[in-house]
Amino acid sequence: MQPTGMLGEDGIHVDMNHLKKGEVNLGTSIMAINFKDGVILGADSRTTTGAYIANRVTDKLTQVSDTIWCCRSGSAADTQAVADIVQHHLSMYAVTNDEQPTTQTAAAIFQDLCYDNKDQLSAGIIIAGYDHRHGGQVYSLPLGGSLHKQSYAIGGSGSTYIYGYCDSYWKENMTEEGGIAFVKGALSEAIKWDGSSGGVIRMVVLTAKGAVRHLYLPDQAYEGPGKQPKAV
Amino acid sequence: MNHFPQAWGRPRDDIYGHYNSSYLQTANPTQHTQSPVVTGTSVVAIKYKDGVVIAADNLASYGSLARFTDVKRLRKFNSSTVLGFGGDVSDMQYLDRLLNDLDVKENYSHADDEASQLSANNLHTYLSKVMYKRRTDFNPLWNHILVAGISSESEPFLASVDLLGTTFSSPSLATGYGAHLAQPIMRKLVPDEEAVKGISKEQAVDVVKECMKVLFYRDARSMDGYSIAVISKEGIEIKENEKLENQSWQFAERIRGYGTQVN
Amino acid sequence: MTSIGTGYDLSNSVFSPDGRNFQVEYAVKAVENGGTAVGIRCKDGVVIALEKLVTSKLMKPNANKRIATVDRHIGVVSSGLVPDGRHFVVRARAEAAEWRKIYKAPIPVHSLADRVGQYVQAHTLYSSVRPFGITAIVGGWDSETEVPVDGQVGSGPSTGAGGKKEGGKHGGPFLYMIEPSGLFWGYYGAATGKGRQTAKSELEKLDLAAGTLTLEQGVKEAARIIYVAHEDSKDKEFELEMTWISSLSGPTKGRHEEVPKEIREEAERLAKKSLDDDDDDEEEEKKDDKMEE
Repeated sequence: MQPTGMLGEDGIHVDMNHLKKGEVNLGTSIMAINFKDGVILGADSRTTTGAYIANRVTDKLTQVSDTIWCCRSGSAADTQAVADIVQHHLSMYAVTNDEQPTTQTAAAIFQDLCYDNKDQLSAGIIIAGYDHRHGGQVYSLPLGGSLHKQSYAIGGSGSTYIYGYCDSYWKENMTEEGGIAFVKGALSEAIKWDGSSGGVIRMVVLTAKGAVRHLYLPDQAYEGPGKQPKAV
Repeated sequence: MNHFPQAWGRPRDDIYGHYNSSYLQTANPTQHTQSPVVTGTSVVAIKYKDGVVIAADNLASYGSLARFTDVKRLRKFNSSTVLGFGGDVSDMQYLDRLLNDLDVKENYSHADDEASQLSANNLHTYLSKVMYKRRTDFNPLWNHILVAGISSESEPFLASVDLLGTTFSSPSLATGYGAHLAQPIMRKLVPDEEAVKGISKEQAVDVVKECMKVLFYRDARSMDGYSIAVISKEGIEIKENEKLENQSWQFAERIRGYGTQVN
Repeated sequence: MTSIGTGYDLSNSVFSPDGRNFQVEYAVKAVENGGTAVGIRCKDGVVIALEKLVTSKLMKPNANKRIATVDRHIGVVSSGLVPDGRHFVVRARAEAAEWRKIYKAPIPVHSLADRVGQYVQAHTLYSSVRPFGITAIVGGWDSETEVPVDGQVGSGPSTGAGGKKEGGKHGGPFLYMIEPSGLFWGYYGAATGKGRQTAKSELEKLDLAAGTLTLEQGVKEAARIIYVAHEDSKDKEFELEMTWISSLSGPTKGRHEEVPKEIREEAERLAKKSLDDDDDDEEEEKKDDKMEE
C-alpha cells in the first residue's frame, strides 16, 4: 500500500490522521463549554466519506451516563466503540460502588482507552459532564491520548477556523443564554469555513436539572427550533 | 536440519506441486505509530551552589497550532525532586502516573525520615531504565526529561534522559531548541562543576529567565507564560504562572525594508 | 465443639446439615487468640491501634510493623494469623493500585473494603483453600475536596466550576471490619483479637455515633483501650502500635501515617495513669470491705 500523508522533517513517515480505506470520517466541528450552571456541548451534523456527505443529520453528542456526555471527532467507528465501552464501564461503576461516577472518572476511562490504543485509534473526544460535587467540567482528549482539563474545549477539523473567535468572545461564568449564543456563534463560523463541517447545530445543556437537547437549523438561520422535548 | 516446520516431511514438490505455506505467515510485524502528537518544547535547568533552578513554558502544541496554553510541564515528585518534561504530553502524563505509583509503593513502609525517600539520582536512574526499556521494545516514550533535585549525598543534582534512554549530566542542561539556544548562555556562567560553587540562587534564576526569553524570541513552538522551580535542601519553590519580563522589541522601529530602503 | 468427629468440619466448601461452615468458625478461633486491634472513627480522622504482643526478646523494639499502609490514605490492621494478615495487605494494595490504573484517582475506602471483602469471602467457597485466619480493620479518609485526575494538566475556569451544589458533604473518615467469613460492616468503633470484648464495651462508652470525638482525643482513647484490654493477658509483654489518618487540614493531611512518637508516648502515659487510678479505687473498696468485717 502506498503510504499516505506527508513525510516529517526528520524523514519519518507521519500520518496520525490516516483512515482505513472507505472509513467514515467525522470531519467535524465540536465543542463544550463551562457556564454558570453547568456545561453545554455543541456539534455540527456532517459525516463524510471523502467529499461525499454520508450523513447530513448526524448526532455527534453521545451520552455515556446520566449527566456525562461526550462530543466525538475522528473515525466514527473508533469513537462509537470507545464511547460504548466507557458507557458500559460507567454503568458498572454506578452499581458496584453505590455512587454515580464523576466526570473525572469518565475522563480517566476515556483516556485509558485512547492512550493505551493510540496506535490503532483515530479519536479526538471532548468529555463534558455535571455532578453535584464538582459542578460542570470539560475535558479535552486529543489524538495522542493526553487529557486536558479546560474552561472550554473545541475540536475537529472545523475548530481550527474558530480559535480566534472563541479566544476573543470567551467569558467565564456566562448565563445559559450567553453560553448558547457563544457555542452557536462559534459553530456557525466553523460550518461556514470548513468543508467537512455542516448541517444543523446540536447542543446539550447539562445542569443540576439534567440534560436538555437543543437543535438549530440552517434554514432558520440557526435561530430555531431551540429546546427539544425529552424523548419518550 | 531445516527449522521451518512447513518443510518437515512434506509431500514432494515434483509430484504434488509447491506447498502453499501462506497460511503460516502472520500478517505483519507489530507497528507502533510512534511520533509525538501534543508536544511541549524546551526545558532548561542550571545548578547553583545550594540547588537547581529549572524552567519550562506552559504551552502544549499540536503541530504548529498553539493548542493548550495551561500545561504545567514541571512535575514535582517529592520534597527534593522536580522533573521537567519536553515532548509528548500523553507520555508525560503516563510517566507522571508511573512515578505516582512508585511514590505510593515507597510509602508502604512507615519510614518517615527524609533519608529513606527516593533521591533525585535514584529517580533519574529509574527513569533511564524505563525509557531504555521502551525504546528497546520499539515503542518509545517520546520525551526528553530533565531531573532536577538533591542527590543522596545532599548535593545539587541535574541530569537528563531522552526517548532512547540516553543519559547526560552537566552543570546546566536544556532539551529541544534550548540545547541550541539556551545551553551556550548558561555554559558561560557555569562552564564546569567548579563554577557552580560560586553561583547564587539569584544568578541562576536570572540566567534561566534570560534563556526563557531567548527561547521565546527564537523558538516558534514556545510561549511567554512559563513555570519555574527552585530546588534546594530547604525544599521546592515552584511558580507556575510566570510571564516573561523586560522583552526587547523597541528596536523594530528602526528596521525599514530589507536592505537599501530608508522609508 | 459438637462438630468434631461429624466430618462436616473437614472441608471448606461443605456445609453441616444445620447450615454451618465449620472451617470458617475455626478461623474465627484463630482470630480470638491474636493481639487486640481497635479502630476509632473520629469526626476529623481515624485512629488504628494494635496491642502487638512481643513474641521474642530478640526482636528489635518498634520494628516489624503490623499496621500497613494501602495506597496513601488507608491503613489496615489485623488480628489472628500474621502471615494471613500480610497476604490480605498484599491483596488490598493490589486492589488499590488496580483502581488507580483504571480510574486515575485514589480508591474510596468503602470500595476497597468491598473488594477485599469479596476476596476473603471467596476463600470460604473452595475446598482447595482455607479461610483467612484474621479479622481485619480497614480505616481511611476519602478526600473532602475535589480530587484531580492523576497526571492532570490544565485547570478549567479560573472562577471555578459552574452549578456546584454548595454545602454538600463529601468524603470524610471511614472504618470497616472484615471477618473470616468475608462479612464486613462499617463501624464507628471496631475491635478484634483477644481483648475485643473489653475493648468493645470501652468503645461503646465513647458515644462515637454522636460524632464529637476529635482525632486527638481518639488517639488517647485508643491507647487507653488497648491498655485496658491488655489487662486480661498481663503476663505477656506488648508494644502499642498506633497510626492515624486525618482530614486534609489535620496533622496527616489525609494520609495514613504513624502517630508521632511524642503523641503516642503521652497517650501511653495517660493510659497507664488511668489504669493505676482504677487499681487504687479497687484497693480502696477492698479496704472498705475489710473494715466492715
